[in-house]
Parts: sequence; C-alpha cells; structure tokens
Amino acid sequence: MRILVIEDEPKVGKALQEGLQAEDYDVKLAPTGEEGFFLASSQPFDLIVLDILLPGRDGIEVLSTLRKTGMRIPVLMLTAKDAIEDRVAGLDAGADDYLVKPFAFAELSARIRALLRRGKPESPAPVRIDTLEMDLVARTVSRDGQRVDVTAREFDLLEFLVRNKGRVVSREMLAREVWKETSRATPIDNVIDVHVARLRRKVDDQFKRKLVHTVRGVGFTIREEE
Amino acid sequence: MNALGRISIRGRLTLLYVALLSLVLVLYAAGASAFLLRNLREQLDHRLNEDVETIEGLLALDSNGHIQLMTENLDEDARDLRPHFLEVWSATGSVLYRSPQLGERDLGTPPTQAANPGRIGQRSVQLADGTCVRIVGRRHSIDGTPVRIRLGLSEEPLWREFWQMVSALAIGLPIGLLLIGGAGYAVARRALQPLDSMAKRAEEITAERLGERLPIGNPDDELGHLARVFNETLGRLERSFEQLRRFTADASHELRTPLTAIRSVGEVSLQKTGDAEYYRDIVGSMLEEANRLTRLVDSLLTMSRADAGRIPLQYTEFPLLDLAKEAAGVIEILAEEKNQSMIIEGDHRVVVRGDRLILRQALINLLDNAVKYSPEGGRVEIRVGSDASEAFVDVRDSGPGIPLEHRSRVFDRFYRVDKSRSRGEGGAGLGLSISEWAVHAHGGRVELDCDHGPGCTFRIRIPIGQDANRKIGERVL
Repeated sequence: MRILVIEDEPKVGKALQEGLQAEDYDVKLAPTGEEGFFLASSQPFDLIVLDILLPGRDGIEVLSTLRKTGMRIPVLMLTAKDAIEDRVAGLDAGADDYLVKPFAFAELSARIRALLRRGKPESPAPVRIDTLEMDLVARTVSRDGQRVDVTAREFDLLEFLVRNKGRVVSREMLAREVWKETSRATPIDNVIDVHVARLRRKVDDQFKRKLVHTVRGVGFTIREEE
Repeated sequence: MNALGRISIRGRLTLLYVALLSLVLVLYAAGASAFLLRNLREQLDHRLNEDVETIEGLLALDSNGHIQLMTENLDEDARDLRPHFLEVWSATGSVLYRSPQLGERDLGTPPTQAANPGRIGQRSVQLADGTCVRIVGRRHSIDGTPVRIRLGLSEEPLWREFWQMVSALAIGLPIGLLLIGGAGYAVARRALQPLDSMAKRAEEITAERLGERLPIGNPDDELGHLARVFNETLGRLERSFEQLRRFTADASHELRTPLTAIRSVGEVSLQKTGDAEYYRDIVGSMLEEANRLTRLVDSLLTMSRADAGRIPLQYTEFPLLDLAKEAAGVIEILAEEKNQSMIIEGDHRVVVRGDRLILRQALINLLDNAVKYSPEGGRVEIRVGSDASEAFVDVRDSGPGIPLEHRSRVFDRFYRVDKSRSRGEGGAGLGLSISEWAVHAHGGRVELDCDHGPGCTFRIRIPIGQDANRKIGERVL
C-alpha cells in the first residue's frame, strides 16, 4: 500500500513517515503543496494524507485540483483549525475524512485503515486472543474456558480493543467509539481508566499471561505476549 | 448637502440661523420700507389736496382775460406754493395757465374722462427729465368758465427720504447679521466646547488606560447623558479587557505547567543513561503531559468558539431524565470507585428541547465535580423536575461545600476553589464554565445553592414550552 504524506512541518512529516512505515506502508513524503501535487499526479498512490495549512499552495487548493483531474483515491485531511467551516471546506473540496491536530498517531493509523478498507467487507474480528474468547452474538467473554462476567460497557471496550488487536488505541478513540463522546473537551479519561482497570482485573489478574497493556502516554492495547 | 456636510456642526448651526435671520430681517425691512413709502405718499397727497384748495382761491382772471395766480399779497406761508407745478386747462383742452416753475417740463395731457366737479384724482408721473411728480387733477370754474386744474409736486424729497431709509437698512442689516452670526458662532462653539474636550479625553483613553472616565458636567443635559453613556461603554470595555487579560494570563499559566513538565522530564532523562524501559517511561510521561496540553487547548478552543457564537446547536426533544441517566451512566463508575452512592430520581415526563450532546457535556462536568468533591462513601443525588416554565436538574454532592467568598466565582474560567488541588485531580478549572456556557446557550442558567444541608447543589434550569423557543431564538439571534 502506497501512501503520500503532504506535510510541511518536517518533524511531523518525518514522524508520520516513520510511523506508517512501521505499519508496513510504502510512504512518500512531500513537504510542499506543489511537490505533493506533482507526486500525486505522476505516481500511483492508494491514499493521501494532506495537511491543510501548507506554504504556497494550500491543501484545499491541491485537493480540489487533484479531484478535478479525476483522481478518486481516498484523502485524509489534517487540520489545525478546529472550526466547522474548515472541515466543511475540506470535505467540499473532496476530502474523505479529516483529523484535527494535535492527533494521536494511533488515531491516524486507524483512520487510514478505515479509509483503505472502505467498500470492502469488514474482516471478521478475531474473537480469540490467547485463551480469551469473545462471542460477539451472545455478548459473552471467557478466559481459559471460564466464563467472565463483564458489563455491557466493558464488553464494548474489550471488543474495540480486540478489533484493534496488536495496535494501540488512544483514550480519545475509546471516548468516541465506545462512549460516543464527540467533544474532546469532555473529561472522561478517568472514566476510561477505571473501566480498563476493572476489565483487566476480570480478564487478566488471575492469569499468568497478561493481554491488556497500558502504553503510557498513548493508550491501551491488547496483544498476545510472546 | 455634501459641501455642507464637510462644515463643522457649529459652522452649520451658525449658517442656518444666520440664513433664517436674514430672511426674517429682509422681509421685515421690505415691509417697513413699503409702509414708509405709503405713509410718505399719503402725506404728500394730503398736502397737495390742501394746496390745490388754496390755489383754487388764488386763481383769477386779469384785465386781459388771462388767468393769473394772485400771489403778490400772500404771506410767507403761501409762498411755499411756488415750487408747485401748476397747469390750468380749458374744458376744450387748451392750456390756459402754466406756472413759471414748470418751464419746458411737460406734465402730459390730462386724462380726458370726465371727472366729477370737485373730485380729486391723483397719480405719479415721471417727467422726461427723470423727475417724479405727484399730480392732482381737479375741475373748477373761474368766473363761470369751467377749467381743469393740475397741481404737481416733485416726489424727489419723498424718494430721498425713502432711499435714505432703505440705505440705512441696507447698511445696518448686513452689519447686524454679521454681528449676530459671530455671536451665534461663539455661542455654538461654547455649547459644543464640552464635546471637544470629551473627544480629547476620549482620545487619551487607550487600552492601557481604560480606567479613565469622562467628566460629567450636568448629568441631566444632553452632553451629560452622552458622557454617561460613553462612560458606561468604557466600563464594559474595561471589564472585558480585564477578563481577556486574566484569561490570557491564566491560560498561559495553565499551558506553562505541562510544558515545564515535558521540558524537565526530557532534560533530566538525557542526563542519565537508562535502558529502553526507562526511556519508554520518560517518553510516556512526556506524552501524558502533551495529552494534557491537547485537552487544555481543546477546551480553550471550545470556549473561544462558544464565545464567538460559532457552535451551532442541533435541537432535538428528549426526556431530561434520560439524559441525566446517560450522563450518570458515564460517571457512575467513578462514584463506585469511591464507594459513593449515586441516586437518580425525577419525572420522566419532563421533556426539553436542546442539543443533547452539549447538555450531556454540561451534566457530565457537573457530575464529575460532584464525585470529585464528595468524600469516600458519600452520595451524589440527581433530581429531575420542572416548574411552570422551566425544567431543571439538580446535582447535589455531599462535599464540604463552597466557602462564601468563592461562590460567585466558581463559574469563572480557570477558577479553582482549592488552589492546592493538583491539576490532574482538579482539572484546568474550565469544566464549570463550559457547563455554564452550554446551559446559557439553551437560554437557561446554572444556579448554585450551598445553604441547604451539607454539600452543594448545582441546578441546571432550562426553559420549556413557548418560553423556551423564544429564549432560544434570542440567543441564536
């Protein structure tokens, strides 16, 4: 999968490049709108990550020109302006999704996956990790064959973690996807932490191999210990 | 009008009343002159009539049968008759007598229409040499011969007097107008002078010196009113500048705290050598602070967009109790961790119209606070109800209450009752102000009651029914 990142801030650009490369994408970085436009129109890409605020030709302009030439590939827009008008302008210009800076890398990665997966049937969630099993229909959880009683919220939380198995999910993603809390200004981080702690108590505490891990400063992940 | 627009107000005022005054004065002068002229003519006519009667008595036929004016025996008085122009015509239209004063002057032919005997007719005639003459004609008979007497008197003295009067007016009027105009200008200037000094004072008042006020001369007159209104505006401006200054100072202070943490953690870690685990921990710790910064910036942005009225509300109707349960469902777990009981009760029929997400945020903030400030094992009560025009949600904690001096400021941005509370625990101090904004946006208000029982009650009030629509409409407009 080839991704073009058009981002003028060198640190951010480099971090995105390295982070996405670590997720096995083939990443090209363009520091200006002109260069990005040139690359996008001369090479095939599967997705473009486009910063709106660029020196010279800004992101919206690049995007609308690209769309006029008939380019159909998904575009994820990055914006520092948390204003409805900018989002609308971006989406009008043909962006498929947008992300407000500062964002968690985990979030960007999840959005990219979602855009690349778009139109294709969702891959069935792994329902088994190590000895943890989830029955998504009956909404039950078991570990080592033992039934674990979880609340509805804990089930949703676990399901989200399991669907993103091996990847880190941020508290922000959890707040939005599990708690449906759209505003980043609502403080429910401590709520999330307590839920994760309880879930961990139920599915990990009595077992030697821990599955739910906290990645300090980023969020949580579920993975099988090697 | 445009040219007039460029002149100062006092210039315009002066021009206007000088114009009005000249109109009045010119009309008055014209009237007075006309009146004078009429009076002078009447006097002249009166004199002519008297004189014509005198002359009738003096006319006689001499030995040759010619008509003569017998003036030899007259006294001084009657000699005044001499400047008169006198003609005597026969009934057939031939001149019988011309006074020597007439010389070559021609009074013109008398009107031919038959006038009644004794009837006097007057008219003014301008002679060929330019002299204006007032003429009186009269029928008469001398020794049985019918004649027509025409007596004329120069109008020159009359016109001289008239023009003297007119020229006196013509000279006096502009001088008077000039004087009045000057005085008017001075008066206008004096009346408007406080405006000038107000403008000067106002110019000196800048963002740095908003504490200054305009002097109010007479609070009851127009200028005093203006100064008062201006001062009130200044007061509002000063308050909002002060708010802005405090907000900026507080915000930078809040931003500085996590920045300091990031910096010192990073610097210290570089001075040491540690294993990968150590560095992961350091980076994680720095990311935590970065997250705190992110959230702070998000809150600030939310607030600035709210201030600018740029958060559009998505209205739906829903039972308030449902929203309360939903918010409690989010926060409940925090109460459980502190062994607190969270109790929800209320009327399910209370339905409000509003932006569910924004109101939910407001309620979550209140509940989060209530749990935070209630002790281990305490209780948090949520009650939903309504009265005639408003729906309300009470959030009651079992905390220590809020000291009186803090109550009025708890909704202020960045305001923390307990300054010693850590930022992690106490948040940035924006929660309540965001809640208050959210409720205000719905035309409602948040009340704080700390006087009844232990703990405090925050009450969200939202107007319902037609009242609600009206108030919401006002907010949106």
